[in-house]
Amino acid sequence: MHINRRTAIAHSAAIMGWLAAGIPITAAAQQKKVLNIALFPEPNSLVAGAGSTGPAQTVVGNLYDCLLRFDENLKAQPQLATEWSTSADQLTYTFQLKKGVKWHDGKPFTADDVVFTFDKFLRHYQPRVRIAMGSVESVKAVDPHTVVFKLHTPFPAFLTLMDASSSPIVPRHQLADADLTKPLTVPPVGTGPFKLKEWQRGAFIHLEKNTDYHMAGLPAIDNVYWHIIPDAASRAAAFESGKVDVLPGGTAEYFDVARLAKLPGVEVTTKGWEKFSPFAWLWMNHRNPLFQNLKLRQAVLHAIDRPAMAKVIWHGYATPATGPFNQRTPFYTSKTTQYPRDTAKARKLLEEAGYKGETIRLLPLPFGETWTRMAEMVRLNLTQAGFKVETVSADLPGTISRQSNWDFDLTFTFVYQSGDPAVGVARSYVSSEINKGSPFNNVGGYSNPKVDELFAQGAREPNPTRRAALYAEVQAILADDAVAGWLLELNFPTVYRTKVTNLVSSAVGINDSLGRASIN
Amino acid sequence: MDKLAFIARRLLQGLAALLLIAVMNFMLVRAAPGDPATVMAGESGAADEVFLQQLRERFDLDKPLPAQLATYLGQLARLDLGTSYRQQAPVLDLILERLPATLLLTGSAFLLSLAMGVALGVWASTQVGTWKDSAISVLATLFYATPLYWLALLAVLVFAVWLPWLPAFGYQTVGGGHEGVARWLDIGHHLILPTLVLSMFYMAIYARMTRASMLEVASQDFVKTARAKGLPPGRVLRAHVLRNALLPVVTLAGLQAGAMVGGAVLIETVFAWPGIGRLLFDALTQRDYSLLLGTFLVTAALAVAFNVITDLVYTLVDPRIELS
Amino acid sequence: MNSDFARRFRRNTGAVIGLFVLLVVGLLALLAPLLAGNDPWDMVQQPFLAPMAEPGLWLGTDALGRDVAAGLIHGARVSILIGLVATAAALLAGITVGALAGYHGGWVDVVLMRFTELFQAIPGFAFAVVLVAIFQPSVESIVAAIALVSWPPVARLVRSEFMSLRQREFVQAALLAGQTHWRIIFTQILPNAVSPIVVMGSLMVATAILLESALSFLGLGDPNMMSWGYMVGAARTALRQAWWIAVFPGLAIALTVLALNLVGEGLSDGLNTRLQGRTR
Repeated sequence: MHINRRTAIAHSAAIMGWLAAGIPITAAAQQKKVLNIALFPEPNSLVAGAGSTGPAQTVVGNLYDCLLRFDENLKAQPQLATEWSTSADQLTYTFQLKKGVKWHDGKPFTADDVVFTFDKFLRHYQPRVRIAMGSVESVKAVDPHTVVFKLHTPFPAFLTLMDASSSPIVPRHQLADADLTKPLTVPPVGTGPFKLKEWQRGAFIHLEKNTDYHMAGLPAIDNVYWHIIPDAASRAAAFESGKVDVLPGGTAEYFDVARLAKLPGVEVTTKGWEKFSPFAWLWMNHRNPLFQNLKLRQAVLHAIDRPAMAKVIWHGYATPATGPFNQRTPFYTSKTTQYPRDTAKARKLLEEAGYKGETIRLLPLPFGETWTRMAEMVRLNLTQAGFKVETVSADLPGTISRQSNWDFDLTFTFVYQSGDPAVGVARSYVSSEINKGSPFNNVGGYSNPKVDELFAQGAREPNPTRRAALYAEVQAILADDAVAGWLLELNFPTVYRTKVTNLVSSAVGINDSLGRASIN
Repeated sequence: MDKLAFIARRLLQGLAALLLIAVMNFMLVRAAPGDPATVMAGESGAADEVFLQQLRERFDLDKPLPAQLATYLGQLARLDLGTSYRQQAPVLDLILERLPATLLLTGSAFLLSLAMGVALGVWASTQVGTWKDSAISVLATLFYATPLYWLALLAVLVFAVWLPWLPAFGYQTVGGGHEGVARWLDIGHHLILPTLVLSMFYMAIYARMTRASMLEVASQDFVKTARAKGLPPGRVLRAHVLRNALLPVVTLAGLQAGAMVGGAVLIETVFAWPGIGRLLFDALTQRDYSLLLGTFLVTAALAVAFNVITDLVYTLVDPRIELS
Repeated sequence: MNSDFARRFRRNTGAVIGLFVLLVVGLLALLAPLLAGNDPWDMVQQPFLAPMAEPGLWLGTDALGRDVAAGLIHGARVSILIGLVATAAALLAGITVGALAGYHGGWVDVVLMRFTELFQAIPGFAFAVVLVAIFQPSVESIVAAIALVSWPPVARLVRSEFMSLRQREFVQAALLAGQTHWRIIFTQILPNAVSPIVVMGSLMVATAILLESALSFLGLGDPNMMSWGYMVGAARTALRQAWWIAVFPGLAIALTVLALNLVGEGLSDGLNTRLQGRTR
């Protein structure tokens, strides 16, 4: 949405403001159900696929429906797909599509849209889909309401990609001829419960109810306003003063969450993140000779006080990590070598490793106060164990650039585990994902053929018991090798007013739940 | 004719300064470590060579520097400040959206600090030797030394948290839905604290300068002559001393106005005031090159504009000044 | 001459107080490790402890349970270090440009002064922010940015001093005697221009400290150094629950800057110089 320059000048003061600028709340409108949510940073785009940042996906999931939804136990639920089946050899997936569904522009939704979405559109935009489509031989629309995927190798994680975390379904009639190498300037058109009404940059995004939504009686909310508020303290204050009713996970500083939770009529939930399962750890750069020494890597793991970190910095909204897998990831096992905090042991390991006091550069994540404190605490812990650590300062683009180009010794990251080890975990540890240019692949540079093999087999193994065994083995190896400095499993709290019910009803939370939420 | 020539020359000087600032700005940002394309692509997690090359082409990053500079200057001449990659909107639009808020804030602070500062300074100059005069001097020195952002935080603490009289941040009440006059009142309500804080520092400067200037002028011969002629002291004060004493103060104010725009970054940060100071900072942290260049250029342009205007006003107002 | 100076300086009570405060701050900076019981980065206690709540932590703790008093004492080092070095760099640049322009006059003067005016036209703080952010925050980039923003007034002052001193007889005599230009600049003119430079220098240290603290407040400080500005910046989001984390460091900055300003004025009185009207 571009703002007409003349209008901007003529109504410059009127358009000003980053909060509810000029939103008319007439008497009639006040009768309607309005949900005000804080959002930051501003999405880069609201067209599915192009909108790739976290906040973008949060809004996009409510504009575009997907084939499936996943509940909090990661069990698949119907959405645009009413039934689905997998062949015994796990090489054929058949989806029956819902009938009578319409796009926001009135055109009918058919199997051709699904085929276009996977075969062409998301292959370009979504790395996870691109990888999955690598196993797919063909995707066809057998009839206007049936889609069949034929794989040449089994890919057990296939179904986990069918929800708002990876594959919003886009309209073929709108995007078939678009040049995907250029930014998309079309308005977002989906089949979701909300339509985009207005986007005032720097101020708010206004979604309105899709009156033709394919689920009768939904959505119960008429209007959703996403308020772009750049400052964490301002977001908390906006919530407190009643101007905003929901603070999604990650938008409020944790001590504010603790304070807001005590207010009457306020609830805090950590639900809605089961699929993403954000996992924070320290990348150790395996190209640095220091980190090629196993004892030194073990010393790093023993030096860090994870419980204190979870308590003091994350105010309890984090769980100390116990190994390379997040405890919520399927096939997690606790039977791996543990590294409890032991400063004395860390010192001893450092000595045995022959550490001579070389400076280690720590690159923090510039995502706000909490991450700055994390960096300070890690530096403190490591210094107490005898390391010499220097914090490097970089802004967000600089940090991403350095991580993508392996220009660091130790750096922070948090990665979404995405509901299946083949999809969320493998890319962090396999040799094929060692490529410059992305901060989300195997940035650390660890390379172990056995691990590569185990992950590759796990991605293809249809039998769950055998899969579990494969992943148990890989976890044991990664833990023994102290590949990375696993820190915390993050439990982002969503703060909301109790008048909002059913705010979170899926494993990706607000991202695709607003259609089923309601306000009293 | 002389004056016109002077005006023309001064304006040209201003434009030349702007041009040089634009070039320097351009060089600076390109000198930054890191390949802009990788940075932009890496954020969306989709960084493969094809996409990187597209980004480079789109933002002309693969051409040699002089060609990039030529393109940039050509665009500037057409008042095209480029497009912000991150916000997917023309930079000029983004800046124009935020400019009024900054002008409102700095304009108010400028007027307030000048008015109050001069008033205090004039009054202090009539109270020389008394404790009142010393008190004003001390307070002025104190405010001059206090960090602006700390004063802002203290103001928020006292007037918005402990005594909830004024809003702690923002331009308007969220979801307040005010229209017309009510809206302007709401904005004004939010304007009070940031303006007060921004004015304090400059008020101190103007108060001290006015006092010193008043005393200096008052001791000059022509004033003594006026008094000797028997004119009442009040009229002497107003008619002669004030007008002459104010000139250096006004000059200083004009120069400071430019600095004020730059310093608005701090106030806008603390008070979450949606102006271009904050936009500049956001563009920096996001390494949004087009936005960064555009915002810094506009900020510098405002400062240069204020300087030029001040020079012109000063020379036009004071007939004794020779145009050189 | 010295006792005259001391007498005039002493008459200015403000300046004397300022000097005293500076000595205290200087001592803190020098003896920091001895005076502060705790390392400022150590998480020693519960977060957000109020001042005096625990013995030994008389200024309380911050968001990570770190000793605020220790932070204050160590912060003195950072502020003074950066303030002095940045000012020295700015003086070096400014004196060089101003001396050359004032001494040679003619087209050298014109070119150098246009160059100086250009720098002065750029809003200083915004420029410093841009510089530090682009070259990534570190002590080096902060010092360089402050110096780059502060040198123009020095150049103008030195230029006007040089221009007037150039015409004096002792310079004419030295020229006739065959001394080289450089020798004249360094041994004849510069020593006579020292007074206003010293006064300006002391005021510049104050401005440098304010600038550094503002940069740290915005998050552009060196992350390995606990500076006063950084402490105020870190306190911003926790203002409601812990006012002391913001108030004390800011107080420290204000007092130091105030002291420097007072001393500067005292020096101005003592050295019998007047800076007004010299920098335009």
